[in-house]
Amino acid sequence: MANNNSPTVLIVDDEKGLRTGTQRLLEDEGYKVDAAANGSEGVSKGTAKDYDLAIIDLKMPDMNGLEVLAEIKKANPNTVCFIATAFASYENAIESTRLGAYSYIPKPFTPDELLHNLQKGYNQRVLLLESERLKKESEENLLEIANERSRLSTVIKLIDDGVLVINKLGELVYLNSASLKNLNIDKLEIGTYVLDKLPEEVSGLINKHLNRQDKKQKSYSKQIEIIPKELFIEAMTSPVPNPDGNFAGVVVVIRNITELKKIELIKSQFVSMVAHELKTPIVAVQGFLNIINDKSLDVPPEKQTEYIDRSIVRLKSLIALVNDLLDISRMELKTKQREIEDLDIKEVITSIVQFLEIELKKRELTVKTDYEDGLKILKADRNEITRLFTNILSNAIKYNVDNGSINIKVFQSEHYLITEISDTGIGLKPEEKEKLFHEFYRAKNEKTRGISGTGLGLTIVKQIVDTYHGKIEVESAFGVGTTFKIYLPINKIN
Amino acid sequence: MALIAIIDDDPDIVEASSLVLRSNGFEVVTANNPSDGYKIIKEKNPNLLILDVMMEEPDDGFFLAQKLKKENIDIPILMYTSVSKTLGFEYGAGEMVPVDEFVEKPISPEELIEKVSNLLAKVEEKD
Repeated sequence: MANNNSPTVLIVDDEKGLRTGTQRLLEDEGYKVDAAANGSEGVSKGTAKDYDLAIIDLKMPDMNGLEVLAEIKKANPNTVCFIATAFASYENAIESTRLGAYSYIPKPFTPDELLHNLQKGYNQRVLLLESERLKKESEENLLEIANERSRLSTVIKLIDDGVLVINKLGELVYLNSASLKNLNIDKLEIGTYVLDKLPEEVSGLINKHLNRQDKKQKSYSKQIEIIPKELFIEAMTSPVPNPDGNFAGVVVVIRNITELKKIELIKSQFVSMVAHELKTPIVAVQGFLNIINDKSLDVPPEKQTEYIDRSIVRLKSLIALVNDLLDISRMELKTKQREIEDLDIKEVITSIVQFLEIELKKRELTVKTDYEDGLKILKADRNEITRLFTNILSNAIKYNVDNGSINIKVFQSEHYLITEISDTGIGLKPEEKEKLFHEFYRAKNEKTRGISGTGLGLTIVKQIVDTYHGKIEVESAFGVGTTFKIYLPINKIN
Repeated sequence: MALIAIIDDDPDIVEASSLVLRSNGFEVVTANNPSDGYKIIKEKNPNLLILDVMMEEPDDGFFLAQKLKKENIDIPILMYTSVSKTLGFEYGAGEMVPVDEFVEKPISPEELIEKVSNLLAKVEEKD
């Protein structure tokens, strides 16, 4: 046999000589052969195992070969069965074929006749198995497609983006619930004309497709305000082709972009604030330069010097502002290289106080410190922690009264190292306290006039505290003073 | 000679504008915030007001202009703005914004004198 796997054959015959003779012949030819000595044995063997081939004697004492054939075919429809008989008749031949026999072998047969028939039968068996495999495979594929469809429809139902499908008559074919939510519409009925029920801008996009129902279509998108200041969507429309490639309709994806719009607004507000803050000192300096330059105004020399000095002050504040802005953007981009090291907070604060000594002396301020014993080490970037406390302490100086004092107290709780910095300064009004950490916010009242600053110092403080997953609290009474409480986690490294 | 009030929270701008106006023969009174500004208008009754739009709060100057209009204080207003374009408001003189002229900072001495003189001339024509 050409095949590596030996074909299996069941011989069902009550005539022992013929049975064993055939078995030997076939085994010599490479078949694996089982034999059954009567009909019922043939049925039990032939139904228990899916033989490639079976040769069934028609006339047996206990059972008719056709019954054996029917049983085997019922259990294993792909077993190729031959009916062997000496009493060949037309009727038997018809009946056996009807019951599923592949062929009819008249007895007696020569070895060649038998082998030739079995070879043909085996080829048939191979074909049957292959066709069954293909059939099974295609059934599995169909099942997969069915699963895929239901999965896809579940996905579309569940996503936050709305999906609408409109046919070329403007009728609704499909929708998910998110589309109603994102369009703020209660109901849309499938199978009805909906272009008059959708927001005008959405229908407008769909109409662009419907008006030119050709194959080469673009996709369109538009941002639409559905509820003023509350619900913003982006509608995206694309043509849907038929399997033949012709225009079938439009799919509309409706995305809620409200949050994005809010962020955009915050960004553009920030940009205009920055522009304003940058422009203010430039305008002042230009004003002074203009009048110094204008010979017709005849500004006296001492005034000229004053204006130049004032311009320098404004430019210095401009530089400080630009540096603060750069710091903020660096921190926001997290491009800042952080070097985490063991810090002794007492040492950090002591060196900041030394650095600020000239300013402290100018205002004749006294600094009192109180460090709890056994303070834990802080794992943090030295520059950031120094910047944090420098900003707070320089505020405590700037917004203090002459001859006032600054109290620094450091202690720890289970999770935090807590630094309390109090001043005896001008304090904050409650409405000022709320805005304290906003960008460019500077308390402006009768007592803050003449105090300069970028309005970004506490914004930076807040950012650093947030970076270390700490927190900051402010207590203040107008005219009495302000206390900042900074909590930095002890065991956590960012 | 015409009396001009300048209300702006930037002392350097107030200084430079005052000097330019005084050198051209105008009298000047100044204030650094809207409430002081309101006071000097009531007290001194100036012929023209130069008003900064952003002071303690954005739009402070704008609210002061509205307040004056409501009280029928009919004084020409020249409004200083610095970021009107980035804020997206393209102010125009009119009913909604009771201001006679907008000037985007910075303003040159010549331009300032020209605008002020023109506004004062218009008022004289009306009278």
